[in-house]
Amino acid sequence: MKKVGKSMFFVILALIIALTALSFFGLYASYGDVTTTYIKGAGDIRWGIDIRGGVDVTFSPPEGYDATDDEMAAAESIIKVRLVSQNITDSEVYTDYNKDRIIVRFPWKAEETNFNPESAVKELGETALLTFRENQDGPTILEGKQVESATAVVNAENGEYAVSLKLTKDGAEAFSEATGRLIGQQISIWMDETMISAPTVNSQIPNGEAQITGRFTAEEAKSLADKINGGALPFKLQTENFSSLSPTLGIGARDAMVTAGMIAFVLVAIFIIVLYRVPGIVACIALLGQIAGSIACVSGFFPNIPSFTLTLPGIAGIILSIGMGVDANVITSERIKEELQVGKTLDGAIDSGFHRTFSAIFDGNITMVLVAAVLMGAFGPPGSVFARMFTAIFRWFGPSATGAIYSFGFTLIVGVIFNFLMGVTASRLMLKSISKFKPFKKAWLYGGAKND
Amino acid sequence: MINIVGRKKIWFAISSTIIIVTLLVALIFGVELDIEFRGGSLVTYSFDGEIQKADFQSVIENNLGQSISLQEQEDVVTGKVNYVATLSSKEGITPEKQEEITTALQQKYADQNVQVVSTSNVDPAIGHDFFVKCVVAVAAAALLMIIYIAFRFRKIGGWSAGVFAVCALLHDVMFVFAVFVFFRIPISQNFIAVALTILGYSINATVVVYDRIRENKRLMGAKTTLNELVNTSINQSLTRSINTTVSTVLALAAVCAVALLSHVESIITFAFPMLVGMIAGAYSSICIAGPLWVTWQDHKAAKKAK
Repeated sequence: MKKVGKSMFFVILALIIALTALSFFGLYASYGDVTTTYIKGAGDIRWGIDIRGGVDVTFSPPEGYDATDDEMAAAESIIKVRLVSQNITDSEVYTDYNKDRIIVRFPWKAEETNFNPESAVKELGETALLTFRENQDGPTILEGKQVESATAVVNAENGEYAVSLKLTKDGAEAFSEATGRLIGQQISIWMDETMISAPTVNSQIPNGEAQITGRFTAEEAKSLADKINGGALPFKLQTENFSSLSPTLGIGARDAMVTAGMIAFVLVAIFIIVLYRVPGIVACIALLGQIAGSIACVSGFFPNIPSFTLTLPGIAGIILSIGMGVDANVITSERIKEELQVGKTLDGAIDSGFHRTFSAIFDGNITMVLVAAVLMGAFGPPGSVFARMFTAIFRWFGPSATGAIYSFGFTLIVGVIFNFLMGVTASRLMLKSISKFKPFKKAWLYGGAKND
Repeated sequence: MINIVGRKKIWFAISSTIIIVTLLVALIFGVELDIEFRGGSLVTYSFDGEIQKADFQSVIENNLGQSISLQEQEDVVTGKVNYVATLSSKEGITPEKQEEITTALQQKYADQNVQVVSTSNVDPAIGHDFFVKCVVAVAAAALLMIIYIAFRFRKIGGWSAGVFAVCALLHDVMFVFAVFVFFRIPISQNFIAVALTILGYSINATVVVYDRIRENKRLMGAKTTLNELVNTSINQSLTRSINTTVSTVLALAAVCAVALLSHVESIITFAFPMLVGMIAGAYSSICIAGPLWVTWQDHKAAKKAK
C-alpha cells in the first residue's frame, strides 16, 4: 500500500470543507447589477412542484379516439406554445406515444399571488385556433380546419428545410385568391393569439399546395409543421389526471425536512464518534463530504450543468444516505477494532481493516446503485438515461404520473457514489495520516486495548 | 458467541407469525389503494375562521351531484384547519367542474377566503398502469439482485445464496406492507419506493454476512460444520449490522419526528415504513437469510446421503 504522508489529513479536510462551503453557498461575483455565477450553491437548487407548488396534469385525446403519432406531436406543440404564451417558462412536457398521453408539469409562477391552476389547465387543453391572416394582423384568410396537413420537407432545388402545406378544397380557393392579391406581402400564421410564422408570398398558389421556406433547421421545420397541424387537430384534449399544490404548503414541508436532515446529521455524528472515537471523527468528516457532494450534484454545481429537480422524497433520500453512509465506516472501524484485538499494530490494523472490507462495501454499494437505477428508470421521465436503459421492461407502462420518486432515486444513487468516495478512499487516507501523529497513535482510540 | 443458527426455528416462527397475521388482516379488512393507483379525486381547501363541516360538505355535494367525504387536516404552514374532500366515485372531476365548485364555495363563504390548497385527480386507467409498472419495478429489482448475488457468491453456491437473500427481501417487504396494513395507510408510490430501498438496504446487509461466510470458508477450513461457519460469520458481522441500523434508524427517526410535528403527511407515510423496514432488514439478514441458507444446504446434503 502506498505511503500516506502526515499532511494528507489536512489536505483532505481542507478539500472537504471547501467542497462543503462551495456546494452550500456557491460562488458568485457581482459587478454592479450583474451577478455572475461561478459555482451554484444550495440556493440554486430547482425545487420540485411538490415543494414550490404547481400543476401536474395529464392530457389525452377523447376516449375511443386512436390518435396518430403526428397528431400527438401536434398536440404537444400546441401545449408548448400555450405554456410560453401564458408566461410559464419552467415547464416539463412529456408525450407518451404508446398510450397517447401528454404529461405537463409546471410550477407556480413567481410573484403570482392568485394563480388559477384550473383555468390554466383548461386553456392548455382547449382546441387550438389556427388562423392565416393578411399581413401582420389583418383579416383572416384561412382557419385550421382548412389545412389538411403540414409536413417538414427538404426542398428539392436548394436542399433547404421547408414546411409543405396541403389545403382542403375550399381552403385552396381562399388561399389562391389571397396569394394572388398579396404577392410581395406577408401572410402571418397564428395559433390562438400567438404569431408562429410570417412568410412572404412569392407567387400565387392556386392548387392548395404551398411551401414555407425560410432557412429552417430540421427541428424548426418540424416544430412549425407540428404547430400548424395542431390547429387542424380533429379532437379536443381531455384532462385525465390533474393535481395542483399551493406553494406555501410545500415550502413548509421542505423547511421541516431540512431541519430533520440537520438533526439526523448531528445524531448520527454523536453516535459514531462515541462508538468509534478517532475513526468516528473521520467518518463524520467523510459524511460531511458526502452530503456536500450530493448537494453539488443536485444544484448542478458548475453553471453549465443543469440543476436537478429536488423533491421531498429527494430530500429524504439525502437524509437516508446520511444514515446509510456511515455503513462503510462502521464496517471498516469494526474490522480495525477486531484486528487490533488479535494483536496487530495500529498501522497494520488500519491497512487490513480497509483492505479486507473492501469487497463487502463494494458489493453492498453496487446493490444500492442497482436499486436506485431501477427507481429512476421506473419513475423517471421518458427521455432520461435510466428510463432508456430500462425501456425494455417499462415501455409498456408509459411514463409516470409523478416525478417525486425520481428525485429520490437520484439522491440515493449520488449518495451511494459519494459514500464510496468519502467513506472508503477519503476515510482511509485521513485515518492513515492522522494515526501518524503522536497524540493519535494510541490503539485504544481505535477500539483496541487501553494499556499500550 | 450467540447461537443464531441454532435458534433458527424461533426466528422462522416469529417471522411467519407476523407475515401470516399481516396477510390475514389484509384479507379480512382489505388494503386501501391510494388514489394514484385506483383513480379518484381529492381536493384540499383552506379558509379563514370557522365553517360548519356539514354545510361545507353539502355545498360541494349539491354542485357535484354525488356524495363526498370530508376530513379535517391541519395546515403545515398556518396551523389552521383545512378541509379535505374525497370523492367516492373513481372517475375524478374535470378542472371545469372543480372551478365551479370553488366559485360556489367562495360565494357562499364570501368573507372567509376559501382557497384550493391542493388537488389530486387521477384517472383509474392511468392509476392501474402506474400500479402495474410499480410492481414490475419491484420484480425487476429483485431479479437483478438474485443475478448479482449469484454471480458474486458463486463460490458458496451462488444461486441458492441469491434466492435466499431474496427470500429475506420478500420477508422485509412484507414487514413494510404490515406497517401500511396495520396503520391503515393507503398503498401509494411511497410504498414502492420504500420497498425498493429496503430491497437494496437489506441485500447490502446480507452481502456483508455472505462476504464473511466466503472469507471464513477459506480461513476455517473444511473441518468446520456449515452451522459453525455461518454462525461465526453472522456473529462477526453482528456489531456492524446493529450499529449501521442504529445510525440509519436515528436519521429516519429524526425525519419521522419532524414530519409528525409539522404534519407533513407524505413524508410520514414514507419515513415510518422505511424505519420499520430497516429494522426488519437488519433482523432478516442476521436471523433469516443465513439460517435459511443453512437449512437448504442441510436439506440438500441429507438428500444426497440417501
